Order: sequence, then structure tokens, then C-alpha cells
Amino acid sequence: MLRSLFASGVLLAILGTSPIMLQAAEEKLLEASFETIEEQAAGTAVHWYMFGGWAHVNSWVDGYVAAEMKKRYDIDLTRVPMDAGVFVNKLLNEKAAGKQTGSIDLLWINGENFKNAKEAGLLFGPFASRLPNVQQYVDPNSVAFDFGYPVEGYEAPFGKAQFVFEYDSAAIDSPPRTLAALKTWIKAHPGRFTYPQPPDFTGSAFIRQVFYALTGGHEQYLQGFDRELFERQSPKLWDFLNALQPWLWQKGQTYPKNSASLDTLFSRGEVAFGMSYHPPHAQNKILEGSYPESVRTFVLEDGSIYNIHYTAIPFNAPNKAGAMVLANFLISVEAQLAKYRPQAWGDFPALDISRLSPADRKRFAEVDLGPATLSSAELDPVAVPEIPAAYLEALEQGWEEHVLH
Amino acid sequence: MKQLGVLLLLLVLFVLPVIVLGLTSLAPGWRFPDLWPRTFSLAGLDYLLKNQERILVSLGSSCLFSLMTVLTTCGMCLAPAAVFARFAFPGKTLLEGLLLTPALVPPMTFAMGLHFLFIKFSLSDTMPGVVLILSMFSYPYMFRALVAGFQNMGQEYEICARNLGAGNLRTLLSVELPLLLPALIAGGSVVFLVAFSEYFLVFLIGGGSVPSFTGTLFPLLSSSNRALASILTLVFLFVPVCLFLTLDTILVRVYRRRGLI
Amino acid sequence: MKSAKLLLRLSPLLIPYLILFCGGVFLTVGQSLGFLTPLPYTGGTFEAYTQLFSDPHFLASFLFSLQVALASALLSVTAGTLLAYWVWKLPQRLQTAAIVYKIPLILPHIAVAFVVLIFWSRSGIVASLAHSLGLIDAMQEFPNLLYSGWGLGMILAYSLKGTPFAMLLIMALLLRFDSRQIQAAYMLGASRLQTFFRVVLPRIAPAMQTGFIILFLYSFGAFDIPYLLSESRPGMLSVNVYNLYFKRDLARRPEAMAMLTFMFCFAVLLIVAYSKIVNRLEDAERKI
Repeated sequence: MLRSLFASGVLLAILGTSPIMLQAAEEKLLEASFETIEEQAAGTAVHWYMFGGWAHVNSWVDGYVAAEMKKRYDIDLTRVPMDAGVFVNKLLNEKAAGKQTGSIDLLWINGENFKNAKEAGLLFGPFASRLPNVQQYVDPNSVAFDFGYPVEGYEAPFGKAQFVFEYDSAAIDSPPRTLAALKTWIKAHPGRFTYPQPPDFTGSAFIRQVFYALTGGHEQYLQGFDRELFERQSPKLWDFLNALQPWLWQKGQTYPKNSASLDTLFSRGEVAFGMSYHPPHAQNKILEGSYPESVRTFVLEDGSIYNIHYTAIPFNAPNKAGAMVLANFLISVEAQLAKYRPQAWGDFPALDISRLSPADRKRFAEVDLGPATLSSAELDPVAVPEIPAAYLEALEQGWEEHVLH
Repeated sequence: MKQLGVLLLLLVLFVLPVIVLGLTSLAPGWRFPDLWPRTFSLAGLDYLLKNQERILVSLGSSCLFSLMTVLTTCGMCLAPAAVFARFAFPGKTLLEGLLLTPALVPPMTFAMGLHFLFIKFSLSDTMPGVVLILSMFSYPYMFRALVAGFQNMGQEYEICARNLGAGNLRTLLSVELPLLLPALIAGGSVVFLVAFSEYFLVFLIGGGSVPSFTGTLFPLLSSSNRALASILTLVFLFVPVCLFLTLDTILVRVYRRRGLI
Repeated sequence: MKSAKLLLRLSPLLIPYLILFCGGVFLTVGQSLGFLTPLPYTGGTFEAYTQLFSDPHFLASFLFSLQVALASALLSVTAGTLLAYWVWKLPQRLQTAAIVYKIPLILPHIAVAFVVLIFWSRSGIVASLAHSLGLIDAMQEFPNLLYSGWGLGMILAYSLKGTPFAMLLIMALLLRFDSRQIQAAYMLGASRLQTFFRVVLPRIAPAMQTGFIILFLYSFGAFDIPYLLSESRPGMLSVNVYNLYFKRDLARRPEAMAMLTFMFCFAVLLIVAYSKIVNRLEDAERKI
């Protein structure tokens, strides 16, 4: 009775454009030559939804990318700030409501958000292999999996990240090099350490790194999610983090909401260590004037997570052609080089450097990453991959249950 | 002496923050324990200039949906407010109470329920959707102001105009509205401010497709570059103040010309 | 006037009210019971509520929200009353200058939260001031005001925004108040305090009550300030709803809606109780 009352009480039957017609147009787009796509995209507007917490990244997109898109392709780019989890949820809502024409053209995405979106059928594709720059410059093996989940061309590579810690060399002579040393340091300096609250990606990466280090490395997790293994291993992480809690900033009562909030605490000297997924991030902040000149970065010998981040197109993107042109431009040599410079952002290229022309290779080599950035000789030996996204979600949920509450 | 103390207190509470915002916007690296910034930089202003298009678009969009909200609430409330001011009917007090609740209960409670329906009816991610949702929780301010306005005006003018042969529309446009102007402006200013400074509802229903100034400002507030957030906050303060000052000047002029004051 | 015509003239307000407001609440309640959810719901009708009320964090969040709302509304109304009274007693010339109190009214909530962050964080202006005055030697000695688990940051922000609001309401009443009454009270030998409590306060009490209930309910359910200044735990209800709605599985939508329904019912109960109390007070006053 109640059910029928609700059903009849609300008018719900509104159908969008015929789904069959849309599907046909999409298939055509995936077969069209890229020149046709570029022609089709000229004079259109593209809405790119992306995490908006990093002012320097926003400036790079609003300035460099928008100007280039206008100049090269006559495309008007609008950046819309939104957390990845939030836009995936928005798309799920739209899918459930049967909305065939949405408002998002391109997403900045990876990891569990990509997996959730792809599993729920929220993504358009496969389109990545259609992009000329992906065909030419990207090593397909490097982008076959995203957090252990097959990509299958539903997202195009955009950049490469590796986790580093930041410290002020004027205040600390030699930072801890191992997790054990870090723990000792934290206990010796109450209130001077914290990490962003998962599911923020930087905070989430931090607890994952600790998880690897405490449970004997990442290798055991690579074969897909194993509930029993997780149940056995994760308590070690909770015990470790809970034991640290009384010595954290605000005694662990509060965690910074996202990595930008941690940057702020670090730049103002409230905590002694910053964290970033972008090794030249500290250099960028120094150049911007928010960090002191003496800030340097370091990694733990126990391992530093690296991953690739991507762009993807929603199933109901109003301008898929424009989104493909933008995704293609973002993985071009010019854009990757501009993004690599610490003045702009300092995000590592997702290109395979060996596929570039010698002249281009030289241009990458000549970028001055500054004194605060670690060299690849320091970064590469400790690099560890991501484990399947299901672990990440389990860790994030578990963190909330066992550590936060 | 005490008078100065009161004034000083007001200055510290309400003006000092603005001064500090001004300083912060010129000194991105200002940090503890400096009471005065060590270095100044124009990087924040540079950012403002570089991104002026985006900022202007969001500012314009915010102004537009706020003004449309003012108009919508005005349209919603004008006739009912006249009824409430002039007639007694059973259940009036209860109805008035009910009509005022949307401003009191947390707007999330009905907006999130509506969200799904708005998506279905293609109202989400559009300006009209944003205006509707903002009107729905800000109209009580307009309603209260207009009821008071009608009460102060009395019914004599309307009767007089009708006796002189004016029709419904004529009475409304040339007699009642000018007399209601102060009430309209009082209600309209509050509605404008409420709509202009709302972040969450615009984010929820606008979904990022309807640019808004709060939406532009929000991500910057937690970033380590406080200069940008400060400078945009100052712009935020500047626009409504300018708007109200212009409105005030125009009104005084209009009233003078008509010989009302 | 005939009731049909009356209804017609009320319709521009009644129709949107019924469709958007009542409809919105109806949908919230419906979704909390598992109807009309984006994903087909498999749980029982009241499962979301059972889950909610058995969760100790929910209770903690509710009490925390109450505490923040109560403290900020009390602080705003008290400060607003005193300031309004003092400003009102200023000579005309200085009253014009006192208009600066309207600045926070114009600033959006998120900007006020930002101001609180600049001033009161451990690396903020107040800490720097304490350092220059020699009160503290290092940042860590500055009292931990924001994120301390007491919601102080939010209380400060709400009060900075709420005080001018209360002032505005109270000033409106004071302007109609005849200042000769105060002189009369002084002449009859009343002290300053007595005059304030016996003569002025009763006159501005209605504005204080209205201000209190508006501010209380606003701080109880708003999202903007808590999102910037709330502790991670217990966390304000509105932030919990946001997280459930946007960051968790879509299948948990009924829980988010149940929380909203609870907030709605609480707000309505409070409004009803408030108007009953105010009516009784007014009746009592009339009898006297």
C-alpha cells in the first residue's frame, strides 16, 4: 500500500533522448578518424571535472591548458572543481535517474573511483587507444592496469605520481628514513605529525605504504582481493596507527581534510612533515612562496607508492569528441612537458621517454626540478606499485571503523 | 571614553578581519611568529588578473542567480503577503508558521530529497534549478518583509486608486509597488545575500555546471596559498557593498525626483 | 473574501511550498524508508533507522551538533544584545560609524570560517600576537582552540556571523524604544544594571528569542562552516550526511536520508516548542 502510494504520488516517467540513437552516434565516434573528431570538436565547450584543492594545478589548467585548447582546437575549456568520489556518485545518480545527457565531459580519475565507475557502466569507451598521442608515446604495458584493475582503454593516461614526504631542513637535520624511525620521531615530538584523512588520496596512500611495510611487502596482495588475507593482516595496521594517535597533531582527534589542508599546516609550521604524490610539489610551493626555501623531500626505505593517474569520459558526456581532443592534448609532449615544470605543477610525465625524439628527450632532461626534488636515482629503488583497488577500499573503510572511531 | 571603547570593540571584531585579509592577500608567505608580514608580493593580484575571466564569470553567474532568486521570491510572495496583511481567515497563524519553516529547518533536509527528482526532470545542473532551490529556502525573508510593508501601507491607497478608475495591474504597478519599495528592498537584500553566499545548495543542485563565486572560493580556502583565498574574499565583500550603495543612491534620487522625501 | 479567491491569491506561494518543500521532505522521508532510491533497495522499511539509532557515533554527532548550536546561538545573542545596546547609546555621529558591524553579514559563511582559521589556528594571528607579547615561546604552547573536540572553531565562526545578525534584529526594536524611559528609570533611582535588566531587556526580548531560535537551528543543520572547521570526530551531523550522500556507496542512501529525516523532525519539534513557549510568555505578560 505504502509502496503504491509513493509510486503514484510522484511523477517519474520522463524519458530523455532515445538511448538507441545516442548509442549509434557513440559507436561512430569510436570509429571515426581523429581528424574528424577534431573537426567535430572545434567551436565546442568542454567541462572537465577534477579535484580542485590544489591552487597551482587549477592555475595550470585555467591558464596554460585552457589557452592552448582555445588556440589549437577552438575549444572552450571549463574546469569544475569536484572530488573524484563526489562526481562518481553524481554520475551514479544520473544513471539511476536515466539522464542521458549529463554535464561532465572529462574526469580526472584513477584507482577505486575508476573501478567503481567502470563497474557501474558509467564510462564511455574504449577510447584511449583512439588517441594519437597515446598510440605514439605511451607504453601500453604501463597503463594496462590501474590499481590492479584492467583499464581496457576506458581511461587515458595523464600523469605519474610517486609518494614523497616533505620536511624543513632548517628545522630537522636528518629526517627518519624508515617507518620504525618515523614512529620513534613522532613519539619524541608530540603533535607534530599527521596525515590527511582517508579517503583523501594522499592520506590513503600513506596508510597503504604503512600497510605494505608492516605486513611484509606488497607482493602478497597483487593477486586480487583476498578477504581472509586482509582480515589477518590489517589489524597490524590499525594497531600501529592507533598506537600513534595520542602523539599526532590534535591527538588524532582531527585529521586534515585533504592534502591541501596538510600543505597548509606544514607551510605554517604546525606540523613537521608534509606529504605529496608529486615529487616536485615542494619545489613548486617554494617557487610560489608558500614554503620556506629550506624545504626538502625524502622517501622511506620501506617503500614509496607510485601510480598513474588518468582522464576518463562519462557515459552521458554531452561533448565526447571535445573530451577526446582534450584527453589527447593532455598526454601530448607539450602538455606533459609544461606539467612537468615545477613552476607549473611538477607532475611526472606518463609518457614513455624512450619513444620520444632525441630533441624532446633533451627538453625533458633540461627541466630544472630544483634542489627540493629527489632524483630518480633516489626515487626509483624504493618505488612500489599500487595493490588492487578492493584493498584500498577495505583499508579506507577499516580506517574509519578502527582508527577514526 | 566608554564610547570609544565600544567603537574600538566593533572595529576589532568586525573590521580587523578585513584588514588582516587585505594583508594576507599581499603576503602569501606570512607565518608564525611574525605579527607583520616579512615580505610582500603581488602574486595574489597577479592570479586575480590572470584568472579574471573565470572569476568574472563566476561572479556574474552568482549575481545573476541571486537576482533571479530575488525576483522569484518577490513573485511568489507579493499577492500572498497582501492577503496576510489585510485579511483574517481561519488557520492564518498556523499557515503563517508553516510558511516560515523553510527558512528555519536545515535546507539539506528537503534539498537532498529533491535532488533526485531534479535530476530526473533535468533541473539539476541548470540555473533555473538553482534559482528554485534557493528561492525555496529564502522566500520567508521576502514574505515577512512584504507582509510588514503591506501592513504599514494600509489599504487606503489601493481603494483610492481603484475609485479613480485604475485596474488591478495599474494599481499594483503605479501605486502599490512604489510604496512597497522599502519593504521590497529590505526583503530583497536579505534574499540576495542568502543566495549569494550559499555554497552547499548551489553545489548540490548546480553540480558545478552553474558557476558560482562561493564554488570558486571554496577549494582555495583550505589551500596553503592563503593570499588567493583572501583576495577573493575581499572581492566577495566588495560586490554586495557596491550593489547596495548604488541601489541606495538610485533610490534616494528617485524618491527626490518624485518628491517623496 | 471567498475562500476560493483567497486560495487563488495564496497560490503563488502555496503551490511551490507544497511541491518543492513538502514534496522534498516527502521524498527525503520516502528514500529513508527505501522507496524511490536510486538503486533498488533490498533492506527492510525501517532498517536505515535501526542502523542509525544503534550507531553510537550518530548519537555522539547529534549531541555534538546540539552543543555547537547551543553555544554559538547563546554567544551570538548575548554579544549581539550587549553590542546593540551599547551602540544604541552612542551619540548619533558615532552610530553611523558603528555600521561596520554589518560586514560579517555580507561575508559568506565559508569566508567567516576562513577568517577564524587565520586568527585562531595555532599558527594564526592571535598566536603570533601572544608570541610577540611574550606569553608563549612556541606555537605548541598556544591553546588548542580549533579542532579540539569541542567545536570551538565552529562556535567562533558561527558567533562572528551570528552576533551582527542578533544586533540587527535587536537594533530594529531599540530604534523604536523611547530613551526617556531609561532616564526615568535612572531618576527613580535604578542602577545601570537594574535599568538594563528591568527596562531594556523586556523590550528587546522578542528579538532575542527570534534571533536565538534562528541561529540555533541554522548552526544545528548547516554544512558550510563545519566542512571547513569541524573535527573529524564526532563530526557534525551535516558533514556526516554529506559523506554518506556523496562519498559512500549509493546503497547507503536510505541511511543518509534517515539522518536528514531525524534532523528535520528535531527542527520542527523545536520550532513548535518554541512558539508554544513564546505564546505562553506573551499571554503571561498580558495578564500582568
